[in-house]
Amino acid sequence: MSAFAELAKLPAFMRRDLRIALSYRMGAATGLLAILGQAVVLSFLGKLVNPAQLPMYGGTRITYMEFVSIGIVFNMVVLLLLDQVATAIRTEQMAGTLEALLATPTAVSTIQAGSAAFELLYAPIRMIVFLVFIGLLFGLNLHPGGALPAVSVLIVFLPFLWGLGLLSAGAILTFRRGTGAVTIGAMLLGLASGAFFPLALFPPWLAEISKFNPLAITITALRETLIGGTGWASIASDVAELAPLSLLALAAGAAVFRLALKRERRLGTLGLY
Amino acid sequence: MDRLTEGRTAAPAGIVVDRSDGAGDNVLARGREAPLEQSVPDRTDSVAVSVRGLVRRFGARTALAGVDLTIRPGDIHALLGPNGAGKTTLIRILSGLVDADDGEVAMSGAVGLVPSGDRTFYLRISGLENLIFFARLNGLRLRVARSRGLELLEQVGLAEAGRLAVGRYSHGMQKRLSVARALLVEPTVLLVDEATHDLDPEGAQRIRALVRDLAGRGAAVLWTTQRIEEIRDFADAVTFLRRGEVRFTGSVDELIARAPSRRFVIGVRNGRPDRPPSLRSLQGVLGSVATVDASPGGGDQFVLAPARDGALGTAIAALAEAGFEVTACRQEQAEIEEAFMALMTEETP
Repeated sequence: MSAFAELAKLPAFMRRDLRIALSYRMGAATGLLAILGQAVVLSFLGKLVNPAQLPMYGGTRITYMEFVSIGIVFNMVVLLLLDQVATAIRTEQMAGTLEALLATPTAVSTIQAGSAAFELLYAPIRMIVFLVFIGLLFGLNLHPGGALPAVSVLIVFLPFLWGLGLLSAGAILTFRRGTGAVTIGAMLLGLASGAFFPLALFPPWLAEISKFNPLAITITALRETLIGGTGWASIASDVAELAPLSLLALAAGAAVFRLALKRERRLGTLGLY
Repeated sequence: MDRLTEGRTAAPAGIVVDRSDGAGDNVLARGREAPLEQSVPDRTDSVAVSVRGLVRRFGARTALAGVDLTIRPGDIHALLGPNGAGKTTLIRILSGLVDADDGEVAMSGAVGLVPSGDRTFYLRISGLENLIFFARLNGLRLRVARSRGLELLEQVGLAEAGRLAVGRYSHGMQKRLSVARALLVEPTVLLVDEATHDLDPEGAQRIRALVRDLAGRGAAVLWTTQRIEEIRDFADAVTFLRRGEVRFTGSVDELIARAPSRRFVIGVRNGRPDRPPSLRSLQGVLGSVATVDASPGGGDQFVLAPARDGALGTAIAALAEAGFEVTACRQEQAEIEEAFMALMTEETP
């Protein structure tokens, strides 16, 4: 079956997942409340932070709330997406639906991608909604003109996240457990991303390493465009740094996932959980 | 990622799907790229499923040890065997879920699968939404998928429950939905793994009628079941698997003939047309030589079960000596279950 025919199946997955999401009516509301709660806590903590210790974006000094809002929202999206990509096949295994899916003329990569497609679309929408909410509540000064450059950076970043998710998916497919390792890995990356505090607070060697963390690169780019208002000019170097890391992660993830899948088929345990 | 190369390398088993009829893609083509050209088994147009020398091992255990199977278009082929015989493994290989270690499989057209598990649907969404989803994965457009889903819900008797979340369905309803899903693309090969084991008689009959209709339209059906008696007047052919080996292949009548019954239907008179002999009087004469029971035919017909081989003559002689007239004696037709049990205890050749 052609790649086009496989792509044409993605809306079916999105429709399915939208219906399932709608059946959990409290899901979106509790997600919003959780992030608002986090924002309130950070707004108080932010009063203790001296703005002089924060980096400048677009030549302007920013508040801690402006600094951290991008970080917490982005971090939430990363965690959600990573979990979704990593556990897509596992979730189908657990639900007992994987064999029924595999009995259709659908590639496993389509099933994997399809199962994350809804979240992939929904998470950035939520990210924008949350940012707008936080912006209104805490008086953030976001630059609408930075939205498109920010989205561009996110698009370059997504293959990195997808590759990481595929690596985790391969491990989960093989060992059946391991979502905890995914969460810990994502937390470590998040910690070293500068989402909650400037990387300059790290020991110098760690701060230097963290500069190559794709999450740190992306968050910095998002702050520059959305808060600093630097527009397209500032993201070129970020995209140049991100692109090879994304390709590398995607290639490694795809290879590991293929190996895991091959092993499961050989053992005849693909449908088992 | 191309489906023909995804996730698999050269599988030893050659599995070939002939898509020349335009019936659509098939999962069995996925990933078995290497054998596609080298191992096309001999088959004619009148063979829908051809399995040759299929082997599958799970560690030290051999689940399938060189299984051969042929199903013609329009045939319902029952697959019998005790638990662990390899029935589900065979279905899983045919449906592309498990790789074979060796052997060849050829099938033509679209394949529908009714898996044995209960939880094969998304429980939070409706039966109709589930069917639409799977129809679209089979390449149907949304509008066609919806109308096909509604049509099949009607056919399997779930029209009213179609908009309920599947989580609210009984096992039987989920099984009927599973059959509806398998029929979404009008399969030319239908693989059914224990479709009726948890259905009530009416539901089971409805499913068999649907499958019979499909076979009538030319589909080849492989039907595994533990409800042995349901294959009578339903299956066109039977294969009996035991420990991964084919122990019998033939028609249902041939299967039954493998287990000659040890029971006989006899006609007995006592000289009084108005009052046939009583069971008690006959049993009193026969003692421990044979047991006697009423025949479904009633009247002067009885079912005689000799206690040991060769005791039939002794029993008839005893009845004659006691003044009864034995007017008829024929061997009772064995039940399929008896044939099943006979094959179960037969030594490996």
